[in-house]
Amino acid sequence: MGADYLEFDRVTKSFGDVPVVQETSLAIEPNSLVVFLGPSGCGKTTMMRMIGGLDMPSSGVIRLEGVSVAGPGRRTGMVFQSYSSFPWLTVAGNIDFGMRYRDDLTAAERRDRVKHYLKLIGLEDFAETYPNRISGGMRQRLAIARTLAAGSPVLLMDEPFGALDALTREKLQVELRQIQMREAKTIIFVTHDVEEAVFLADRIIMLSSRPAAVVADMNVAGILGRSRPLAIRESEVFFKLRNEVLHVVRREAEEER
Amino acid sequence: MRHLIAFRGHAPPAVEAAVGIFTAAVLVAVWELAARTGWVAPQFLPSPSRVVQALWRMTTAEGLLWHAAISTLRVWVAFLLAAAMAIPIGILMSSYRVIGAALEPTIDFIRYLPVPALVPLSIIWFGVGENTKIFLLWLGTFFQLVLLVADDMRRVPHEYVEIAFTLGAKPRRVLTDVALRAMGPSLVDNLRITLGWCWTYLIIAEIVAADSGLGFVIWSARRYVKTPEVMAGVVAIGVIGLVTDQLLRILHRRMFRYL
Repeated sequence: MGADYLEFDRVTKSFGDVPVVQETSLAIEPNSLVVFLGPSGCGKTTMMRMIGGLDMPSSGVIRLEGVSVAGPGRRTGMVFQSYSSFPWLTVAGNIDFGMRYRDDLTAAERRDRVKHYLKLIGLEDFAETYPNRISGGMRQRLAIARTLAAGSPVLLMDEPFGALDALTREKLQVELRQIQMREAKTIIFVTHDVEEAVFLADRIIMLSSRPAAVVADMNVAGILGRSRPLAIRESEVFFKLRNEVLHVVRREAEEER
Repeated sequence: MRHLIAFRGHAPPAVEAAVGIFTAAVLVAVWELAARTGWVAPQFLPSPSRVVQALWRMTTAEGLLWHAAISTLRVWVAFLLAAAMAIPIGILMSSYRVIGAALEPTIDFIRYLPVPALVPLSIIWFGVGENTKIFLLWLGTFFQLVLLVADDMRRVPHEYVEIAFTLGAKPRRVLTDVALRAMGPSLVDNLRITLGWCWTYLIIAEIVAADSGLGFVIWSARRYVKTPEVMAGVVAIGVIGLVTDQLLRILHRRMFRYL
């Protein structure tokens, strides 16, 4: 699969009479982290939800590996900002739940995978703890581990770090980037935070205010490279790129008025 | 001392318990005093010690425990019947909008009918036997509970449902693996509260048509102005309610340790 791994084919979306997404055609490469960046309420979440089959396009088709998305399923795992894990299951139980509807794994394989992903997110010591007793950052890591355990090739993340403090947030961004590279996942990441977008993205798709339309499509990996150590945040290229993105965002906001 | 009465301040649990017991004790003491000094006539307000005496006599010699057991059994039969119907119907009502839309107006109408208003009708339908009592209790709880259950289901965060769907769950599994688990704590809470209402309707039912049960005991004691017995019957209901409520709270804590 090449550039048309994940494809928006003349997709529009309206809720009743309200248009939310203007006709959009897009092609997204596998094993890349794509950020949908746009002002609050612009329709970027709706675009992401349509990839997950949680909302259906009003017209047009979204295809994943050539197969049109007809509803939610394990191909696309969700990581929400809040209510991201089940409070009645322990940390290990939540990871295991990711595999609950897979019948291709034996009980032993499931146990091994739980252990593996607990380690990956550094929560081995919290395996038997309930989610409301761990920090917000740990909870978001847990949600990521659950989707990885499920084996979803595509991760959909809706402002997953929006409720975290600045330091935790930065840490999770670095970790997410590492996880993406190691696990070779395709990640669609929705945010309105320009810094976060530039730091994380291989590619930023910038959206207008509602109804959403693509206003800029930026290849960040081509400029910053794919590996993102924290130090890159203080580099000149990073600043330049951030400012460039910020200008587009501001211009959009101006036109809005 | 001063920090105990700070606006919106906190008090240690031991202090809270002590203050609660102290207040109750003062009230009982004032009551005892008012009765002993003859400030109020004993037919109206017998002293607490006389009520306790009556309670003891009724328990040991007049089969109060048997009446209490009958009443408790009636409450639980009707309550379990109401819950067994309300839980699935309530869940269906918020899982499928059409079912909710179909049932809500009817349920709302019946819900507002005061149970006592339906006593005559229920006697015409079921006579004065057990069926009438069970029916009245069921009537008082089912229509309230079904809406509470529907609401519990509605308040399950949609994120949980969508997470399950994106992990490959089918709707039926989303219901059993996620929605039921997520609504568990509030459902058990609502069951506990509704069980309390059952007692209200039980007394009405037993006063109208019964020859057994705590309502009957209270009502027949009233006929002979045996005020201590009347109050003892009321106290018995209070004790049963308190014990049941505490037991259900403990059950709630055990079932939902993660909270």
